[in-house]
Amino acid sequence: MMGEEKMENRSSFVRRFIKIRGMGAALTAFAGLIIIYIAFGIINPMVFSVNNVMNLLRSMSKYLLIGIGQSYVLITGNIDLSIGSVVGMSAMISATLMTKGVPILPAIFITMICCMAVGIINGILVGKFKLPPFIATLGTMFSARGVAYMVNGNRNTDAIASGIGKQSADSLQNFFYYGKSLGIYNTFWIAIVIFAVFFFLLSKTRTGRHIYAIGSNLEAAKLSGVNVEATTTKTYLVSSFCSFVVGLILCAQAGMGNMEAGMSYEMYGVAAGVIGGVSPLGGTGILLGTLAGSAVWQTLENGLNMIGAQVGIQRVVIGVIVVFAVLLDVVLRRGKSFKKKNAEKASS
Amino acid sequence: MDEKIVSMRGICKNFPGVKALDNVEFELRAGEVMALLGENGAGKSTLMKILSGVYTRDSGEMEILGSKYGDLTPKQAQELGVAIIHQEINMCRHLSVAENIFLGREKTKNSILSNAEMEAEARNILNELKIDISPSQVVGELTISKQQMVEIAKALSINAKILVMDEPTSSLTSKEIDDLFRIIRTLKENGRGIVYISHRLEELQHIVDRVTVMRDGQYITTMNYADTTINEIITHMVGREIKEKFPRVSCKKGKEVFTVRNLNAGRMVRDINFSLYEGEVVGFAGLMGAGRTETTRAIFGIDPKESGEILLDGKELKINRPMDAIKAGIVLAPEDRKKDGLCTKLSIRHNLALPNLDLICDSLGVVNRRKEDGLCQKAITSLAVKTADVDTDAGNLSGGNQQKVVVGKWLARNSRVVIFDEPTRGIDVAAKVEIYNIINQLKLQGIAVMFVSSEMPEVMGISDRIIVMCDGRITGEVMTEETTQNEILTLATRFESKMADITQ
Repeated sequence: MMGEEKMENRSSFVRRFIKIRGMGAALTAFAGLIIIYIAFGIINPMVFSVNNVMNLLRSMSKYLLIGIGQSYVLITGNIDLSIGSVVGMSAMISATLMTKGVPILPAIFITMICCMAVGIINGILVGKFKLPPFIATLGTMFSARGVAYMVNGNRNTDAIASGIGKQSADSLQNFFYYGKSLGIYNTFWIAIVIFAVFFFLLSKTRTGRHIYAIGSNLEAAKLSGVNVEATTTKTYLVSSFCSFVVGLILCAQAGMGNMEAGMSYEMYGVAAGVIGGVSPLGGTGILLGTLAGSAVWQTLENGLNMIGAQVGIQRVVIGVIVVFAVLLDVVLRRGKSFKKKNAEKASS
Repeated sequence: MDEKIVSMRGICKNFPGVKALDNVEFELRAGEVMALLGENGAGKSTLMKILSGVYTRDSGEMEILGSKYGDLTPKQAQELGVAIIHQEINMCRHLSVAENIFLGREKTKNSILSNAEMEAEARNILNELKIDISPSQVVGELTISKQQMVEIAKALSINAKILVMDEPTSSLTSKEIDDLFRIIRTLKENGRGIVYISHRLEELQHIVDRVTVMRDGQYITTMNYADTTINEIITHMVGREIKEKFPRVSCKKGKEVFTVRNLNAGRMVRDINFSLYEGEVVGFAGLMGAGRTETTRAIFGIDPKESGEILLDGKELKINRPMDAIKAGIVLAPEDRKKDGLCTKLSIRHNLALPNLDLICDSLGVVNRRKEDGLCQKAITSLAVKTADVDTDAGNLSGGNQQKVVVGKWLARNSRVVIFDEPTRGIDVAAKVEIYNIINQLKLQGIAVMFVSSEMPEVMGISDRIIVMCDGRITGEVMTEETTQNEILTLATRFESKMADITQ
């Protein structure tokens, strides 16, 4: 054992990197990503074009953000079904305010408050009142979508330029969607900055540690003095914040508010997380996996499109991939616990 | 070094229907190991859970390290320096050893986790205890005994002054126990107080200074270990007279019906051999965790068997699934009736019909309502289940009546062997007597009954013959008429000596 430890200390950065918990699944997802990408590229070389890569990075950003929020919640062993509706709320509230002439920054601020309110409600329902998260967030999912409808009187909004003027509208749309910095779309930069912040929060802070502990063993966490209510609420706040940003991106993309914006995004978030190794049972997974998962998801969508597959086939393939990713995880885990049992038997 | 660090007086605690603690007192001094002893259900764990803030007391006083406390939360108790190492491991399997040790009080620098520092400190604690575990290892990958060591390390890292260990040695090997005792002696020298709960009385001599004995939720006595003997302790533990009346019927013991030979299934079922005869109730006595439930599960085909034969009327049976056992005429009324015995959200009718669907369905698989009604009526009247009608949810019945439904499920089949696992747990006295009557009825019908119970008076009151188990093995077999409670408890605590190689 001691010899082993010494070797560990001497081992290279790469080896330590690989040893990080959850890294295995994340790297597997990255490997899958590369295989899928190359396969599509062989069928249609346009997949490799700079333009397509740029587009890929931009459209995966939405899934990445959604995936981050959903992963936070999944790691505690819960789920957030209200994500898509909060995206819709965000798009509709911000667009409605701007068409009414409210300047960009106050509009964004008010939108953020409204979206975070949903997160707090989710957190209270699940953390404090111990409602099953599936039911609690199903409720907020319907209600938030309802709010998205009501904001502008059951209609999509007009162009935001009609309220804040063409110049302001352009700057908003460029900032969130159409503009580039260093040759890459801003959308991707926004997603990467948010990713970095939440990656840090989850892996390097006390709150992050508590999120894993709750998902791993709620009772043990509680007995160790972890504030379960507050931590659960924080995960739902992260989730609603990410949804809020995605809503702004969709608003900027369309230049208006669409009541249906973000429909079923919560499930895309689950898919991105699960493909990357985030267990819906809680306790495991890292955001690097979610990054890989959202890239896999987007590459599939993009690649199937580029090779001219029909929408129906696209959906089937994506569905199969999600199930396969989880199946792989389950099989691997069963193998591991089986081994462990045998080891225990041998030692006793 | 004999200042009192814990003093509890007049502690009472009621659970619905049970008086778990009745005016209990307890005292612990700095630098001593106090063994807290008693049979299952004596209230040891409950008392310690009150000390550590997991439960709140109904009445009574607590004084810890010189100050009085009313109700504690687990967090407060932890801050006071009370650490409890639970019998069931309670850790985050996905987190590493160091992460578990520091869970809830992580070290940070500018709000960033100082993983290296925590790992180093965890390594120090583990080294101090001479525990061979790497702090970066994931807890879920450790064996149970190693996980327990981590729990102890965790308790030490919070600088616990009062350390409660609930059955710490039950899953340890002799070397590990040796380590544990060495650690306990070190802790003692540092002036910490240790409460040691264990059924392994032979271990006590190595570490214990005083013993407190509890029985049926009451405080019995506290003695210096040096001034007493194991026999005296056992007498205090069982020291009750059998007051309750058990309905007894006698009938002629018939031929051998059921035989288990060399049954092995995991650590808790080791080389089990016994026979059941027609018209005889065989009690299975032992302490909690003696392997009796595991034995019933292996026989019934729930858990896989490693080896062994099961014979019915001299013919060998292959039982790989519960259905195999049921078809052969061996049935089980499991220990946890709400979890394993009943579908509490289904009606009585559906519960009774469930294992008998093969009898009451026609060839197309449609339930024959008339047969079903007949079956239900027969079960309800013969067992006197008190219910308005058979379409009530089984979960709404009282414990005793639920148990009757569990038994009733099997009456429609012509069973040869009925296994009861703790059939009277948590039900009132009147209902218990009815269950005893049912058992006697089965006995009169010539059915072989295997009766597992942790309540000694009950085992002695109902069984004709008693088999005692301990730690997955059968440690004795006695005729009820010729034995005493002391003898049974002595057999039930006859652990394989893991202590042989400890040289002091």
